Amino acid sequence: MNIDGDAILLLLALGPAGAVGFYWAMQRHYRNTDKSHAFEHETAVEVLALNGIEALRTVAEIRGTRSPRIQGDNVGNHRQRVQPM
Amino acid sequence: MASKPNPGPTGLGSPQDMPRAPGQHPMDPLDPSTLPEPIRDELLATDPAAIETASKELRDGLNHCPKCGSTEVRHRPGPRGLICLYCRHEWTATRVEEAFGLGEGIANLQGTQIASGARDIAADAVGLLSFKCSGCGAEVVVNTETAMTARCHWCRHVLGVNEQIDNGAVPDAVLPFHIRKDDAVARISQFVNKRRLFALEAFKDEFSPENVVGVYLPYMVVDARGSADAAGLGEIETRRYTRGQDKNKQTYFDADVWRVQRHVDFTVDDLPLESSAKRGNLDTRTNTHNVINTILPFDTKNAVKWNASYLVGYTSEKRDRDVQHLMPRMREQMLSIARAQMQPSVRRYDRGVRWERERMDLKGTRWVAMYLPVWLYAYHHPGSGGGLRHYIAVNGRTGETMGSVPVQQWKLILAALTIGTVVEALALWFIAR
Repeated sequence: MNIDGDAILLLLALGPAGAVGFYWAMQRHYRNTDKSHAFEHETAVEVLALNGIEALRTVAEIRGTRSPRIQGDNVGNHRQRVQPM
Repeated sequence: MASKPNPGPTGLGSPQDMPRAPGQHPMDPLDPSTLPEPIRDELLATDPAAIETASKELRDGLNHCPKCGSTEVRHRPGPRGLICLYCRHEWTATRVEEAFGLGEGIANLQGTQIASGARDIAADAVGLLSFKCSGCGAEVVVNTETAMTARCHWCRHVLGVNEQIDNGAVPDAVLPFHIRKDDAVARISQFVNKRRLFALEAFKDEFSPENVVGVYLPYMVVDARGSADAAGLGEIETRRYTRGQDKNKQTYFDADVWRVQRHVDFTVDDLPLESSAKRGNLDTRTNTHNVINTILPFDTKNAVKWNASYLVGYTSEKRDRDVQHLMPRMREQMLSIARAQMQPSVRRYDRGVRWERERMDLKGTRWVAMYLPVWLYAYHHPGSGGGLRHYIAVNGRTGETMGSVPVQQWKLILAALTIGTVVEALALWFIAR
């Protein structure tokens, strides 16, 4: 079978990646250092009002990017603090 | 004869009252509605420490059975709560939600309301308290750092610390244990059995889950009302296409960038925060307190009025953090909650949103100090810098279990290297084929 250079490198990286991945997954399974109280979802919250401003025009257009998400996407990372307003 | 009051200096440059506005009556009180909103809110806000939760009937330190008067009162897991060991009479303490209206009016909270058990700890507070037994008059000492009850060594009366002393040891409410010890032991055994292969040998050898200890840990349970704003950029995909041939095919995206802003007004009911500096430190490099944090939340709606009888047979840890210490953490958690609430409203930005600025405006908070029940199993792993204490914690109400099991590093590294080698060999075989 004919495999090109990139694919060979990828296959060769599988061994070290497997070792590191297994170590990391087991370490987390035993030590649970990534766990904490999911207060965002486990607390009783009542939204009284939710509104926002939808801009009428785009700020910019992006052409031909290979990234499937916005750079610095933090919409799901609720605990990441950003600049104060 | 009374002398005339000195009218004071009246010359140029001397202090004078402000002249009245035209038409203003000299005795007009300050009308809050004419003041700017922030000042008005502050003036109208409820004074701190507005909720008095102390039990006057228990102030003598003796928890009598309401039927026979005995002090042999114990907590009994179940709906009734307390039992007299002398006459077997069972009764229950009042739920604080109903007794003090703690579940109501969150949408109208103003300012900082602090229940009497959550008041600031006095700077000169001590943990060791001496009580005069009202049964026989003897002096009995209770170390409130770890216990809230003691037996009088002369007359065998059980004394409990019921009065809200200013050392932070007596909270407003207590949530009694519901999970029994044998249940907690079974849950801890099950948790460890799933993590035996790479566990530290010494940990496995010394593992004895029956040594689990029931501890009442101090928390502040907070109701809050706030507003949050966030602003950033969102992207919507407009086109997706591939370039290149066969193996070099790659996906490319076109997208429009939009400015996004959201504002949310919301309330939070019963957010628990650790009110012990030690337990509130969740740095996983130096401790394993995050596993105790993970077993939150508790059904704090069922917490009952403080009664030291619930703590007989259990240990307790004293609160050492005041409202002001916990406020930054509370504010941050409120902001995270607000961001979570905003997420569904920005789904149309299918390439995600990058929030760049945010703001949290706390309108009102209500703080209640509680003891919450936790079954704790501890193992000290010796090492550099004093080693690490690993905990396995069971929520004393829901049974949720989380823990940290020390790892036999050489074993895990060997297994990882073996797996890596096998995968690498398979990859080499595939390339050479």
